[in-house]
Amino acid sequence: MSVAEVIDNARSQGRTILTEVESKQVLHDAGIPVAIAVLTHDAKAAAKAAEEMGFPAVLKVVSPDVAHKSDVGGVRLGLESKGDVERAFDEIVAAVKAAQPAARIEGVAVQKMAPAGTEVIIGMSKDPQFGPVMMFGLGGVFVEVLKDVAFRIVPLEPKDAGEMVREIKGFAVLEGVRGQKPADLAALESLIIQVSKFIEAHPEVEELDLNPVLAYPDGVLAVDARIVVS
Amino acid sequence: MTQLSEAPADLQKRLDRAFNPRTVAVVGDKRAMGYLWLNCMKTFEGKVYSVQVDPNEIPGIEAMRIPNYKNLVEVPDDIDYVVCAVPRPIAPRIIGDCIEKKVGGVALFTSGFAETETEDGIAVQEQITQMARDAGLLLIGPNCMGIYNRRLGVRHSTDQPAGDSGNVGFISQSGTHCINFSLVGALRGVKCSKTVSFGNAVILDAPDYIEYLANDAETEVIAMYVEGTKDGHRFFDVLRGTARRKPVVVWKGGVTAAGSRAVYSHTASLATAPAIWDAAMRQAGVVQAESLDETIDAVNALTYCKPGTGPRMGLIAMTGGQSVVITDAFERAGLQVPLLTAASYEKLSSFFNIIGGSYRNPLDAGGTIGMGFAPGNLQKLLDILEEDENVDAIAMEVGASFIARRLRENPAMLDQMVQTLASHKERSGKPFLAIAHPGHVEDVMADIRARLIARGIAAFGSFQAGAQALRRAIDYWRSRQDLN
Repeated sequence: MSVAEVIDNARSQGRTILTEVESKQVLHDAGIPVAIAVLTHDAKAAAKAAEEMGFPAVLKVVSPDVAHKSDVGGVRLGLESKGDVERAFDEIVAAVKAAQPAARIEGVAVQKMAPAGTEVIIGMSKDPQFGPVMMFGLGGVFVEVLKDVAFRIVPLEPKDAGEMVREIKGFAVLEGVRGQKPADLAALESLIIQVSKFIEAHPEVEELDLNPVLAYPDGVLAVDARIVVS
Repeated sequence: MTQLSEAPADLQKRLDRAFNPRTVAVVGDKRAMGYLWLNCMKTFEGKVYSVQVDPNEIPGIEAMRIPNYKNLVEVPDDIDYVVCAVPRPIAPRIIGDCIEKKVGGVALFTSGFAETETEDGIAVQEQITQMARDAGLLLIGPNCMGIYNRRLGVRHSTDQPAGDSGNVGFISQSGTHCINFSLVGALRGVKCSKTVSFGNAVILDAPDYIEYLANDAETEVIAMYVEGTKDGHRFFDVLRGTARRKPVVVWKGGVTAAGSRAVYSHTASLATAPAIWDAAMRQAGVVQAESLDETIDAVNALTYCKPGTGPRMGLIAMTGGQSVVITDAFERAGLQVPLLTAASYEKLSSFFNIIGGSYRNPLDAGGTIGMGFAPGNLQKLLDILEEDENVDAIAMEVGASFIARRLRENPAMLDQMVQTLASHKERSGKPFLAIAHPGHVEDVMADIRARLIARGIAAFGSFQAGAQALRRAIDYWRSRQDLN
């Protein structure tokens, strides 16, 4: 499905928020490095999908009614075998039903678990004066508590991405601290530019969150994504 | 928000006519205002006409030897620029006359429109906006002071200098800040080319005026006071494009929550989050300022200091105490005060007076250069800092308030120092700035600054002001350099 088709499909269901699977699909099609997720509807299909993508696997509930998936037992990490995946599928469905009986469960998303990396966040929201504004920060407390973020107006030029990454107070973390290798800044900057281009090409996108993006010494990968359309 | 349905080049040409008029008409000037507008136009090189119907006002106008007409349409000349000061209910009629007369542009000084947040005010504003839009009339304001062109003597304050040209353009929603920039700036060495106060910006908004000044050959630096803008994205695009050609200084009003409430009742603009505004300005490559003083200082650093991108300062102060605080001021502004090269220290050691002085950098040099009045040694210090490869820019404390009485009694003492600094600036490739604190003798120190500025040397009233202004200029030139 093209971006327009995915958006039309969501709208036809009365949604403006794309699911994680949909969001990742459109970003992947735009050439943005995301950990692609497959929507499955039963335990066997989940196990098969996990086998195709490779272990360890991650399972997450797909539901328009669940805002915080891990709070309701809707996320399982580090699943090493088909058996693990099948069990986890049933446990997730049961846990979500128990915690939030009214929630509609569309299925369970399966993706390959990404290796650990430095967590960063890339987001976009619309400013009443300037239009789409991108945000960049380090994951976790850096953004949530310390508000250590940098903003830029879309469209960004390559120099803007470079300055944005270096502007945050926590930049030293990306340069490598405590013996860690430095993050691949070129890949991070190119991801920021790709997202800026995606937003420019799709004015119907109202909000976008890649949270987290994992920054590795070689490359970057968005492991969760959320898109809101108008 | 260009509402005129024409190509940018045409708009430029039409703005050029209004900004460089050969004829001006003042509509509705009054004795109660001291005939403000007609008095402002006394310096105007071209022809001035008055339009006034009130029989009580006409004799006063005629006494000024200004031809008065009862209707703009009757004026027997093409009119390039109109200032309209009539009461609000009359404004639509005058706008109609401007359209019929095909004037170059009209500044509507009249207020009481959308900024009052009243139904009547909003309705009349919509009426005149629609009229101007339909007819393609170049309407400035309403609720504004209009144009100041120093060279041609078109003014909006009777205190504004006129007759010679300037190189700094200024645009402002607020009339007060527009006038103050030109007046306070003039006192400190800023020469305006063209300025405009555009109030409610119903037809032309900040981006239109910025683009005009960006293309104006006379204008080398553009500064502005803004509270908000109707089309932020266009504002951003125009700023980014302009800052790549000329330095742009943006002073934003209404940054705080209470301030943004005041903005709405002032010019009816929407507010944006401060962090996003700040990011947009950085991204656009403009210099940001938070007050009139900072704006003027930044403009002066951009105008009078050689363009430099390096942060390493060579500092000269007159006393030990000042050499400490000048260093703090420049470091706090984000600049650096490094050690000098071995070659510099060798040269300094041969003549520097270390009794009550020191020369690591900062140079505590009052004794060595006779408080600035021993030109030979002053010249040597400047040459050493000029040649030192660890130094990108030079700042110097000039004079000291405690010797002000000697300066007042013998101003010729200063001449040689000013000459030494001016010839240094001519030879030097590094940014140079002078600081003369007001102390308890404000007039004497202000005179020193004025003399320096008159010779093209950037002069500031405090270490902080000088340091921050230079930092802003360096950031600007560096961001230009990063584009290449």
